[in-house]
Amino acid sequence: MMTLKLQVIIGIFLLMALFVIIYMIKKRSLDLKYALSWLLAIVFVLVLDCFPILLVKLSAALGVWAPVNMIFFLGFCFSLVIIFTLTVMLSRMAERVRKLSQAVALNEEKLERMSKLLKEREKE
Amino acid sequence: MKSLVIIPAYNEEKSILRTVEDIQKNAPEFDYIIINDCSTDKTLSVCRNAGIPVLNLPINLGIGGAVQTGYLYAKKNHYDYAVQFDGDGQHDAVYLQDMRDYMMQNQLNMLIGSRFIEKEGFQSSSLRRFGIRYFSVLIQMITGKKITDPTSGMRMADKEVIAMYADCYPKDYPEPESVVAILQAGKKVEEYPVIMRERVDGVSSISPMKSVYYMIKVTLAIFVEWIRRKEYKK
Repeated sequence: MMTLKLQVIIGIFLLMALFVIIYMIKKRSLDLKYALSWLLAIVFVLVLDCFPILLVKLSAALGVWAPVNMIFFLGFCFSLVIIFTLTVMLSRMAERVRKLSQAVALNEEKLERMSKLLKEREKE
Repeated sequence: MKSLVIIPAYNEEKSILRTVEDIQKNAPEFDYIIINDCSTDKTLSVCRNAGIPVLNLPINLGIGGAVQTGYLYAKKNHYDYAVQFDGDGQHDAVYLQDMRDYMMQNQLNMLIGSRFIEKEGFQSSSLRRFGIRYFSVLIQMITGKKITDPTSGMRMADKEVIAMYADCYPKDYPEPESVVAILQAGKKVEEYPVIMRERVDGVSSISPMKSVYYMIKVTLAIFVEWIRRKEYKK
Protein backbone atom coordinates (compact mmCIF):
# COMPACT_ATOMS: atom_id res chain seq x y z
CA MET A 1 0.00 0.00 0.00
CA MET A 2 1.00 3.63 -0.46
CA THR A 3 1.53 5.70 2.62
CA LEU A 4 -1.01 8.42 3.28
CA LYS A 5 1.80 10.95 3.13
CA LEU A 6 2.73 10.01 -0.43
CA GLN A 7 -0.93 9.93 -1.40
CA VAL A 8 -1.32 13.52 -0.17
CA ILE A 9 1.87 14.72 -1.89
CA ILE A 10 0.89 13.18 -5.23
CA GLY A 11 -2.61 14.54 -4.81
CA ILE A 12 -1.33 18.07 -4.21
CA PHE A 13 0.91 17.93 -7.28
CA LEU A 14 -1.92 16.69 -9.46
CA LEU A 15 -4.32 19.35 -8.20
CA MET A 16 -1.73 22.05 -8.82
CA ALA A 17 -1.19 20.80 -12.38
CA LEU A 18 -4.94 20.68 -12.92
CA PHE A 19 -5.29 24.23 -11.64
CA VAL A 20 -2.51 25.54 -13.91
CA ILE A 21 -4.01 23.85 -16.96
CA ILE A 22 -7.51 25.16 -16.29
CA TYR A 23 -6.11 28.63 -15.65
CA MET A 24 -4.25 28.56 -18.97
CA ILE A 25 -7.33 27.39 -20.83
CA LYS A 26 -9.27 30.24 -19.24
CA LYS A 27 -6.62 32.70 -20.37
CA ARG A 28 -6.80 31.16 -23.84
CA SER A 29 -3.07 30.48 -23.91
CA LEU A 30 -3.78 26.75 -24.11
CA ASP A 31 -6.17 25.26 -26.62
CA LEU A 32 -8.74 22.98 -25.00
CA LYS A 33 -8.25 20.55 -27.87
CA TYR A 34 -4.63 19.97 -26.92
CA ALA A 35 -5.20 20.21 -23.16
CA LEU A 36 -7.79 17.45 -23.20
CA SER A 37 -5.30 14.59 -23.07
CA TRP A 38 -3.50 16.24 -20.14
CA LEU A 39 -6.77 16.76 -18.28
CA LEU A 40 -7.79 13.16 -18.79
CA ALA A 41 -4.42 11.87 -17.63
CA ILE A 42 -4.49 13.98 -14.49
CA VAL A 43 -8.06 13.05 -13.60
CA PHE A 44 -7.31 9.37 -14.12
CA VAL A 45 -4.25 9.38 -11.89
CA LEU A 46 -6.11 11.52 -9.33
CA VAL A 47 -8.88 8.94 -9.08
CA LEU A 48 -6.33 6.19 -8.48
CA ASP A 49 -4.59 8.35 -5.90
CA CYS A 50 -7.81 8.99 -3.98
CA PHE A 51 -8.99 5.38 -4.08
CA PRO A 52 -5.83 3.30 -3.64
CA ILE A 53 -7.89 0.11 -3.51
CA LEU A 54 -8.38 0.42 -7.28
CA LEU A 55 -4.67 0.81 -7.63
CA VAL A 56 -3.95 -2.25 -5.53
CA LYS A 57 -6.32 -4.33 -7.64
CA LEU A 58 -4.85 -3.03 -10.86
CA SER A 59 -1.29 -3.65 -9.65
CA ALA A 60 -2.14 -7.20 -8.60
CA ALA A 61 -3.82 -7.87 -11.95
CA LEU A 62 -0.75 -6.68 -13.89
CA GLY A 63 1.79 -8.25 -11.55
CA VAL A 64 3.21 -4.98 -10.22
CA TRP A 65 4.55 -5.36 -6.69
CA ALA A 66 4.29 -1.89 -5.23
CA PRO A 67 1.09 0.01 -6.11
CA VAL A 68 3.01 3.28 -6.10
CA ASN A 69 5.06 1.98 -9.03
CA MET A 70 1.78 1.51 -10.87
CA ILE A 71 1.10 5.23 -10.52
CA PHE A 72 4.53 6.10 -11.92
CA PHE A 73 4.16 3.57 -14.69
CA LEU A 74 0.76 4.92 -15.72
CA GLY A 75 2.02 8.50 -15.59
CA PHE A 76 4.94 7.48 -17.79
CA CYS A 77 2.65 5.79 -20.32
CA PHE A 78 0.38 8.83 -20.49
CA SER A 79 3.39 11.10 -21.03
CA LEU A 80 4.67 8.93 -23.86
CA VAL A 81 1.29 8.95 -25.57
CA ILE A 82 1.07 12.71 -25.30
CA ILE A 83 4.63 13.25 -26.56
CA PHE A 84 4.05 10.94 -29.50
CA THR A 85 0.82 12.72 -30.39
CA LEU A 86 2.76 15.98 -30.35
CA THR A 87 5.35 14.60 -32.77
CA VAL A 88 2.58 13.53 -35.13
CA MET A 89 0.99 16.96 -34.88
CA LEU A 90 4.34 18.63 -35.46
CA SER A 91 4.79 16.68 -38.69
CA ARG A 92 1.35 17.72 -39.82
CA MET A 93 2.02 21.35 -38.91
CA ALA A 94 5.34 21.35 -40.79
CA GLU A 95 3.52 19.98 -43.84
CA ARG A 96 0.89 22.71 -43.60
CA VAL A 97 3.45 25.47 -43.15
CA ARG A 98 5.33 24.19 -46.19
CA LYS A 99 2.21 24.17 -48.37
CA LEU A 100 1.22 27.59 -47.13
CA SER A 101 4.57 29.21 -47.86
CA GLN A 102 4.71 27.59 -51.29
CA ALA A 103 1.29 29.02 -52.04
CA VAL A 104 2.43 32.46 -50.84
CA ALA A 105 5.50 32.31 -53.11
CA LEU A 106 3.43 31.24 -56.13
CA ASN A 107 0.86 33.96 -55.54
CA GLU A 108 3.48 36.63 -55.04
CA GLU A 109 5.08 35.74 -58.37
CA LYS A 110 1.71 35.87 -60.08
CA LEU A 111 0.97 39.26 -58.55
CA GLU A 112 4.35 40.56 -59.67
CA ARG A 113 3.69 39.33 -63.22
CA MET A 114 0.18 40.79 -63.31
CA SER A 115 1.23 44.18 -62.01
CA LYS A 116 4.01 44.34 -64.57
CA LEU A 117 1.48 43.57 -67.30
CA LEU A 118 -0.86 46.21 -65.95
CA LYS A 119 1.88 48.84 -65.97
CA GLU A 120 2.74 48.04 -69.56
CA ARG A 121 -0.89 48.38 -70.54
CA GLU A 122 -1.20 51.72 -68.80
CA LYS A 123 1.75 53.01 -70.77
CA GLU A 124 0.17 52.11 -74.10
CA MET B 1 7.27 22.53 -76.19
CA LYS B 2 7.35 24.56 -72.97
CA SER B 3 10.44 23.99 -70.84
CA LEU B 4 11.42 25.45 -67.51
CA VAL B 5 14.66 25.68 -65.59
CA ILE B 6 14.09 25.50 -61.84
CA ILE B 7 16.90 27.21 -59.95
CA PRO B 8 16.73 26.85 -56.17
CA ALA B 9 18.83 29.55 -54.51
CA TYR B 10 19.89 30.12 -50.95
CA ASN B 11 22.39 32.96 -50.51
CA GLU B 12 23.63 32.91 -54.09
CA GLU B 13 23.88 36.68 -54.73
CA LYS B 14 27.34 36.33 -56.27
CA SER B 15 26.65 33.51 -58.70
CA ILE B 16 22.95 33.76 -59.54
CA LEU B 17 23.31 36.29 -62.38
CA ARG B 18 26.08 34.24 -63.96
CA THR B 19 23.84 31.16 -63.83
CA VAL B 20 20.96 33.00 -65.49
CA GLU B 21 23.23 34.46 -68.18
CA ASP B 22 24.50 30.94 -68.88
CA ILE B 23 20.93 29.76 -69.42
CA GLN B 24 19.96 32.78 -71.56
CA LYS B 25 22.99 32.21 -73.75
CA ASN B 26 23.16 28.43 -73.97
CA ALA B 27 19.54 27.36 -73.54
CA PRO B 28 17.49 30.20 -75.03
CA GLU B 29 14.38 28.03 -75.52
CA PHE B 30 14.07 27.46 -71.80
CA ASP B 31 12.13 29.68 -69.42
CA TYR B 32 13.68 29.93 -65.99
CA ILE B 33 12.61 30.73 -62.47
CA ILE B 34 14.59 31.30 -59.29
CA ILE B 35 13.24 29.94 -56.03
CA ASN B 36 14.61 32.18 -53.33
CA ASP B 37 14.57 30.02 -50.19
CA CYS B 38 14.47 32.95 -47.78
CA SER B 39 18.08 33.99 -48.44
CA THR B 40 19.69 36.26 -45.89
CA ASP B 41 21.83 38.02 -48.49
CA LYS B 42 20.75 40.12 -51.49
CA THR B 43 19.72 37.23 -53.76
CA LEU B 44 16.14 38.53 -53.98
CA SER B 45 16.98 42.15 -54.82
CA VAL B 46 19.68 41.07 -57.29
CA CYS B 47 17.07 39.00 -59.15
CA ARG B 48 14.32 41.61 -58.96
CA ASN B 49 16.63 44.36 -60.23
CA ALA B 50 17.65 42.19 -63.17
CA GLY B 51 14.00 41.42 -63.94
CA ILE B 52 14.47 37.69 -63.32
CA PRO B 53 11.27 35.88 -62.28
CA VAL B 54 11.44 34.78 -58.65
CA LEU B 55 9.37 32.55 -56.43
CA ASN B 56 10.06 34.10 -53.07
CA LEU B 57 9.53 31.74 -50.14
CA PRO B 58 8.53 33.60 -46.97
CA ILE B 59 10.26 31.03 -44.75
CA ASN B 60 13.24 28.78 -45.32
CA LEU B 61 11.98 25.39 -46.48
CA GLY B 62 15.29 23.76 -47.33
CA ILE B 63 16.28 22.38 -50.72
CA GLY B 64 13.39 19.88 -50.98
CA GLY B 65 10.62 22.37 -50.30
CA ALA B 66 12.26 24.94 -52.58
CA VAL B 67 12.63 22.60 -55.54
CA GLN B 68 9.08 21.37 -55.05
CA THR B 69 7.86 24.98 -55.31
CA GLY B 70 9.49 25.02 -58.74
CA TYR B 71 7.67 21.84 -59.76
CA LEU B 72 4.39 23.31 -58.49
CA TYR B 73 5.02 26.35 -60.66
CA ALA B 74 5.83 24.12 -63.64
CA LYS B 75 2.62 22.16 -63.14
CA LYS B 76 0.45 25.25 -62.69
CA ASN B 77 1.85 26.84 -65.84
CA HIS B 78 1.60 23.64 -67.90
CA TYR B 79 5.24 23.08 -68.68
CA ASP B 80 6.14 19.95 -70.66
CA TYR B 81 9.64 19.70 -69.25
CA ALA B 82 11.27 21.04 -66.12
CA VAL B 83 14.91 20.76 -65.14
CA GLN B 84 16.53 21.37 -61.78
CA PHE B 85 19.63 23.47 -62.05
CA ASP B 86 21.92 24.65 -59.25
CA GLY B 87 22.33 28.39 -58.80
CA ASP B 88 25.92 28.16 -57.62
CA GLY B 89 27.61 27.70 -60.99
CA GLN B 90 28.15 23.93 -60.75
CA HIS B 91 25.96 23.09 -63.70
CA ASP B 92 26.43 23.98 -67.32
CA ALA B 93 23.45 25.08 -69.40
CA VAL B 94 24.94 23.85 -72.70
CA TYR B 95 23.55 20.38 -71.96
CA LEU B 96 19.93 21.43 -71.49
CA GLN B 97 18.82 21.43 -75.13
CA ASP B 98 20.54 18.11 -75.80
CA MET B 99 19.06 16.57 -72.68
CA ARG B 100 15.57 17.58 -73.74
CA ASP B 101 16.07 16.26 -77.25
CA TYR B 102 17.39 13.01 -75.80
CA MET B 103 14.34 12.72 -73.54
CA MET B 104 11.94 13.31 -76.41
CA GLN B 105 13.69 10.87 -78.73
CA ASN B 106 13.72 8.10 -76.14
CA GLN B 107 10.38 8.99 -74.55
CA LEU B 108 11.87 9.21 -71.10
CA ASN B 109 10.11 10.41 -67.98
CA MET B 110 13.30 11.59 -66.33
CA LEU B 111 16.88 12.26 -67.29
CA ILE B 112 19.66 12.72 -64.76
CA GLY B 113 22.84 14.58 -65.58
CA SER B 114 25.63 12.28 -64.41
CA ARG B 115 29.25 13.14 -63.67
CA PHE B 116 30.29 9.51 -63.56
CA ILE B 117 29.51 8.16 -67.01
CA GLU B 118 32.41 9.77 -68.83
CA LYS B 119 34.19 10.61 -65.57
CA GLU B 120 35.21 14.06 -66.74
CA GLY B 121 35.26 17.41 -64.94
CA PHE B 122 34.87 17.88 -61.22
CA GLN B 123 34.47 14.44 -59.65
CA SER B 124 33.94 15.44 -56.00
CA SER B 125 36.12 14.18 -53.14
CA SER B 126 36.89 10.47 -52.85
CA LEU B 127 34.84 10.21 -49.65
CA ARG B 128 31.82 11.74 -51.36
CA ARG B 129 32.31 9.50 -54.37
CA PHE B 130 32.29 6.53 -52.03
CA GLY B 131 28.99 7.73 -50.54
CA ILE B 132 27.50 8.21 -53.99
CA ARG B 133 28.66 4.70 -55.02
CA TYR B 134 26.98 3.31 -51.93
CA PHE B 135 23.64 4.90 -52.83
CA SER B 136 24.07 3.76 -56.40
CA VAL B 137 24.46 0.14 -55.26
CA LEU B 138 21.59 0.45 -52.79
CA ILE B 139 19.25 1.83 -55.46
CA GLN B 140 20.25 -0.91 -57.88
CA MET B 141 19.52 -3.55 -55.26
CA ILE B 142 16.08 -2.15 -54.57
CA THR B 143 14.92 -1.06 -58.00
CA GLY B 144 17.15 -3.07 -60.30
CA LYS B 145 18.15 0.10 -62.12
CA LYS B 146 21.69 1.41 -62.11
CA ILE B 147 21.93 5.12 -61.46
CA THR B 148 25.59 6.20 -61.47
CA ASP B 149 24.94 9.66 -60.00
CA PRO B 150 21.89 9.47 -57.72
CA THR B 151 22.82 12.66 -55.84
CA SER B 152 23.03 14.77 -58.99
CA GLY B 153 21.05 17.98 -58.69
CA MET B 154 20.72 18.32 -62.46
CA ARG B 155 17.61 16.41 -63.39
CA MET B 156 15.06 16.88 -66.10
CA ALA B 157 11.48 15.74 -65.66
CA ASP B 158 8.57 15.35 -68.05
CA LYS B 159 4.94 16.24 -67.38
CA GLU B 160 4.17 13.07 -65.43
CA VAL B 161 7.14 13.40 -63.12
CA ILE B 162 6.49 17.13 -62.67
CA ALA B 163 3.00 16.26 -61.43
CA MET B 164 4.33 13.57 -59.11
CA TYR B 165 6.96 15.86 -57.60
CA ALA B 166 4.55 18.77 -57.30
CA ASP B 167 2.38 16.46 -55.26
CA CYS B 168 5.04 14.83 -53.13
CA TYR B 169 8.73 15.57 -52.67
CA PRO B 170 11.14 14.75 -49.83
CA LYS B 171 12.20 17.60 -47.55
CA ASP B 172 15.94 17.31 -47.08
CA TYR B 173 18.60 15.55 -49.16
CA PRO B 174 15.85 14.70 -51.65
CA GLU B 175 17.72 13.49 -54.73
CA PRO B 176 18.34 9.73 -54.21
CA GLU B 177 15.01 9.20 -52.47
CA SER B 178 12.98 10.96 -55.15
CA VAL B 179 14.68 8.97 -57.92
CA VAL B 180 13.69 5.74 -56.15
CA ALA B 181 10.10 6.97 -55.89
CA ILE B 182 9.99 7.61 -59.63
CA LEU B 183 11.55 4.22 -60.43
CA GLN B 184 9.07 2.43 -58.16
CA ALA B 185 6.24 4.11 -60.02
CA GLY B 186 7.53 2.41 -63.17
CA LYS B 187 8.76 5.57 -64.88
CA LYS B 188 11.54 5.51 -67.44
CA VAL B 189 14.68 7.06 -66.01
CA GLU B 190 18.01 7.38 -67.77
CA GLU B 191 21.25 9.25 -67.28
CA TYR B 192 23.06 11.67 -69.52
CA PRO B 193 26.80 12.35 -69.32
CA VAL B 194 27.58 15.88 -68.18
CA ILE B 195 30.60 17.74 -66.90
CA MET B 196 30.11 19.67 -63.70
CA ARG B 197 32.27 22.43 -62.30
CA GLU B 198 33.39 22.89 -58.76
CA ARG B 199 31.06 25.40 -57.17
CA VAL B 200 32.19 28.99 -57.64
CA ASP B 201 30.76 30.54 -54.49
CA GLY B 202 28.84 29.32 -51.49
CA VAL B 203 29.26 26.06 -49.64
CA SER B 204 27.74 22.64 -50.15
CA SER B 205 24.52 22.10 -48.25
CA ILE B 206 26.14 18.96 -46.83
CA SER B 207 28.81 19.79 -44.25
CA PRO B 208 31.06 16.98 -42.94
CA MET B 209 29.18 17.14 -39.64
CA LYS B 210 25.92 16.39 -41.37
CA SER B 211 27.20 13.64 -43.62
CA VAL B 212 26.57 10.89 -41.07
CA TYR B 213 23.00 12.08 -40.67
CA TYR B 214 22.80 12.27 -44.45
CA MET B 215 23.88 8.65 -44.95
CA ILE B 216 21.49 7.28 -42.32
CA LYS B 217 18.55 9.40 -43.32
CA VAL B 218 18.83 8.73 -47.04
CA THR B 219 19.35 4.99 -46.48
CA LEU B 220 16.21 4.82 -44.35
CA ALA B 221 14.32 6.98 -46.82
CA ILE B 222 15.20 4.61 -49.66
CA PHE B 223 13.90 1.68 -47.62
CA VAL B 224 10.73 3.60 -46.83
CA GLU B 225 10.27 4.15 -50.54
CA TRP B 226 10.69 0.43 -51.00
CA ILE B 227 7.95 -0.23 -48.43
CA ARG B 228 5.74 2.20 -50.33
CA ARG B 229 6.32 0.45 -53.65
CA LYS B 230 2.87 -1.09 -53.78
CA GLU B 231 1.27 2.32 -53.37
CA TYR B 232 3.00 3.55 -56.50
CA LYS B 233 1.90 0.60 -58.59
CA LYS B 234 -1.76 1.46 -58.12
